[in-house]
Amino acid sequence: MHFGATLRLLRVDAGVSLRALAQKIGVSSAYLSRVENGHDQAPTPDRLMAIARALDLPPTLLIDLAQRVSPFVARYLEDVPSASYLFLEIARRKLNAAQLARVHAFLAAEFPARSASRSDAPRLHELLAPERVLLKLSCSYLGDAIDVAAVRLANAAPGLNAAAIAGEIRERERESPTGIGHGVAVPHALAAHIRPVAALVTLARPLQVATPDDLPLQMLLVIVGGGQAPLELLARAARLATPDTVAQLCQATTPDAALAHVRHVESEFG
Amino acid sequence: MAFLLHSPLCLLIAQLVIIITTARVLGVVARKIHQPLVIAEVVAGILLGPSLLGLVAPDVKAALFPAASLGILGMLSQVGLILFMFLVGLEMDLGMLRGRGRASVLISHTSIIVPFSLGAVLALYIYPTLMPQGVAFSSFTLFMGAAMSITAFPVLARILTERRLLRTKVGAVTITCAAVDDVTAWCILAFVVSIVRATALTEAVVTTILAVGYTLAMLLLVRPFLARMAARGTGREGLTQNVVAVTFVLLFLSAWATELIGIHALFGAFLMGAIIPREGGFARILAEKLEDIVVIVLLPTFFALSGLRTQIGLLNTPEAWIQCLLIVLVACLGKFGGSYVAARWTGLGWRESAALGILMNTRGLMELIVLNIGLELGVISPTLFTMMVLMALVTTFMTTPILQVVYPPELLARELAEPPQPDTRVTLPEGFSVLMCVAFDRSGPGMAQVAGALIGKQTASDRLYGLQLHRPAERTSTLLEEEDNAESPGALEPLLARSRDHGLSVRPMSFVSGEPARDICSVAEVKDVDLILLGWHKTLFGQAFLGGTVHDVIKDARADVAVLVSRDLGAVRRVLVPFCGSPHDEVAVRIARRMAFAVGAEVTVLRIRFRNADAPHIDAFLKDMAADRVTIVEAIDDGNKAVDLVVKAAEGQDLVVLGSAPLSPDQIMTLCPNSFLVVHHRERPEPAQRRPRPLTEPQTDAVAHA
Repeated sequence: MHFGATLRLLRVDAGVSLRALAQKIGVSSAYLSRVENGHDQAPTPDRLMAIARALDLPPTLLIDLAQRVSPFVARYLEDVPSASYLFLEIARRKLNAAQLARVHAFLAAEFPARSASRSDAPRLHELLAPERVLLKLSCSYLGDAIDVAAVRLANAAPGLNAAAIAGEIRERERESPTGIGHGVAVPHALAAHIRPVAALVTLARPLQVATPDDLPLQMLLVIVGGGQAPLELLARAARLATPDTVAQLCQATTPDAALAHVRHVESEFG
Repeated sequence: MAFLLHSPLCLLIAQLVIIITTARVLGVVARKIHQPLVIAEVVAGILLGPSLLGLVAPDVKAALFPAASLGILGMLSQVGLILFMFLVGLEMDLGMLRGRGRASVLISHTSIIVPFSLGAVLALYIYPTLMPQGVAFSSFTLFMGAAMSITAFPVLARILTERRLLRTKVGAVTITCAAVDDVTAWCILAFVVSIVRATALTEAVVTTILAVGYTLAMLLLVRPFLARMAARGTGREGLTQNVVAVTFVLLFLSAWATELIGIHALFGAFLMGAIIPREGGFARILAEKLEDIVVIVLLPTFFALSGLRTQIGLLNTPEAWIQCLLIVLVACLGKFGGSYVAARWTGLGWRESAALGILMNTRGLMELIVLNIGLELGVISPTLFTMMVLMALVTTFMTTPILQVVYPPELLARELAEPPQPDTRVTLPEGFSVLMCVAFDRSGPGMAQVAGALIGKQTASDRLYGLQLHRPAERTSTLLEEEDNAESPGALEPLLARSRDHGLSVRPMSFVSGEPARDICSVAEVKDVDLILLGWHKTLFGQAFLGGTVHDVIKDARADVAVLVSRDLGAVRRVLVPFCGSPHDEVAVRIARRMAFAVGAEVTVLRIRFRNADAPHIDAFLKDMAADRVTIVEAIDDGNKAVDLVVKAAEGQDLVVLGSAPLSPDQIMTLCPNSFLVVHHRERPEPAQRRPRPLTEPQTDAVAHA
């Protein structure tokens, strides 16, 4: 995933201008623009926390996206240096996701967390359903893919018709493209009063549209509605944009398999 | 008094205060009587000049506008005019002249030639009394002609906008003509000025050559440069000041160049404005930056100056007033008459023509600018100048009230509410869209043939979509696999290939669908298509025709559905439509008629009358559908022989377009070897509110990775 493009996506949907955000977090707009365009590294954890506050997002989500070490962890390691030894052990063993899940399960059983700090925003796989997973779509225009996705979304959103949904999504797409790198785009129409639903579209033929990393589009996550925390949904969708996940999802032949994979990836993030 | 005006600067500032205040106060009055602001400004100038203030309070006038101060005021007003002409050029989007057709060209040319000639003839009559000494008769004549043919583009544009006329046909034609007129008149004027200034013929020729060279340089060198600069300098934050500075420097250089060449500086300013690129809001931002200071502060000084030069007192004899009246008459006759006749000639109604004529007759401040140039050059005498100013004032003044009579607001409202419908009898209704659903390789080519016949030459508003739905892998039951019509993975390819042969561009889409009928209907809805085209193939164990997916689509679709039964359908040249009067039959006739217009197919409508059935609305419908290539044949069904009639008529036809009821397609198809298009009509919920596809659609679309 292209962090800069994701940041721009979140910022545009939050309705904050580049200049305003830069001012809020105390950096120059030129610097922020470089970050958004991928010419500069993702900001430091502290700045990410500031951005998250400005955009009203859970800070951990943004730090996850930027693949930075959370300041929370950093502070903990300072306080309890022996913990870093444990991390080292984990790293040395190259534990994979499944094994980490077992460690996690052990932790949860042995040391139950004091307070559940999980946000109550829905997970992405909860918004998807087999009938909203469109596999091997082939078309020549992004607009057509959006239209087809809108058709399936309309079936799930009572009172909305496909044309209206497609119109909204296209409008948003025109404003600023929603590609977030690694062949993923998240076309969306956010509206707080509509229960969020999402559609997953994998493309049989990659679409050559302008994307932040110039990779052709292979997968679309189309999101309509949003409820309380629409931006969080987008940020969660962005986490799926890793080369591995995209390849896996594009190879899925049944909607259920694709859904299971999304669920799996999401569970890894906790 | 003297204390207040002791220095030239104080004087100038005081003059500005008085001029602007008078103009604005009169402007309020003018607005009350629905006159453009120009009238107020010109009148304000005249009132401040020798015609009123000079008569009533000569001391005040002498103190306020001493002869010595006029030079400074003059320079200021010249700068104002340069900027103003630049604005006029900016407002004039030459792009809109394109594609306005013969009417505008004819009208605008006539509305220059007629007043020009009349002005020249008038010059013949008035030159003994009104031509200043030492001016060549030719110059005088040319100038009178040019002065008569001016139309005030800016005033016109403002009147049209205020009266919401721009969107009407008259408004569109008028604004185009006025633009052409203004450009032409200014070219003529530039030529006249060069002739007047030149002492010898050779000099005039040199000036003309230089002017042409200058114009070419502006168009070929400066314009591309500006376009590049505008593209770089127009950001989200508007223009950078450097870009604006460069533009102004270029503007003044251009004005300077034209002044040096010997055509007037204003011409350079105007040309500069006209070549400013329109893209990206460059022109708009410049205009916004300039407009207030020019229109509110600088332009009134020009009017005041014109007013100071206007000495109504010079018209002190009855003959002078008669001449003045004559000038007004000739001006109106030339401009109004010329435009009116030309407009009638091109087929506009009398009301529209009159409105156009009266609008073109508006001379406003452009005339004033021309007159001042003439006065400065010495081509016209102060007396003639006064007469012509009065003429400009009268022609501008009469525009609004006469327009009110000729083109009352109620009429205007009606015209705006009902845009004229294009005549669908002779042309194809705009834009047709078809969703072609293919499941098998072999359905493609036939569908492409039908689409080609329906669309003909594809325009931007004709949309074609190809849709293929794959069954989900796990639902391929043994029963489906046994069917000999196994789906082909690339069933769209033959369709696309054949469409390309026909020069049609089809947007392909395919995806996995468990409920093809529902998805077809939904895609048709989201793409807002006029017709869903399905393929159908008779299977060995004949399920009833229009069964399965086809049946479901027909049941649920919100658009008309056509089912193609292709039996090696080639080019569609002869089409038969059996017609019994059902709504499905009516759609069948419309579709066939479309083919007649699009590809010139010979359409035969076989009207089958049932005994003792009298249907006036059917007669009316068929009468409406009648066209060159649509032949209507009558047949009478006396006792259930309709099917036989159709079978007989179908001989030698390429395609039979058939309504899904009342005749039984099943029965007819087993008897005829032809290709069939079975049409099912679907009442749209609200046909009036067709949602036009946004023009911007392609912007989110990028061409597929091949």
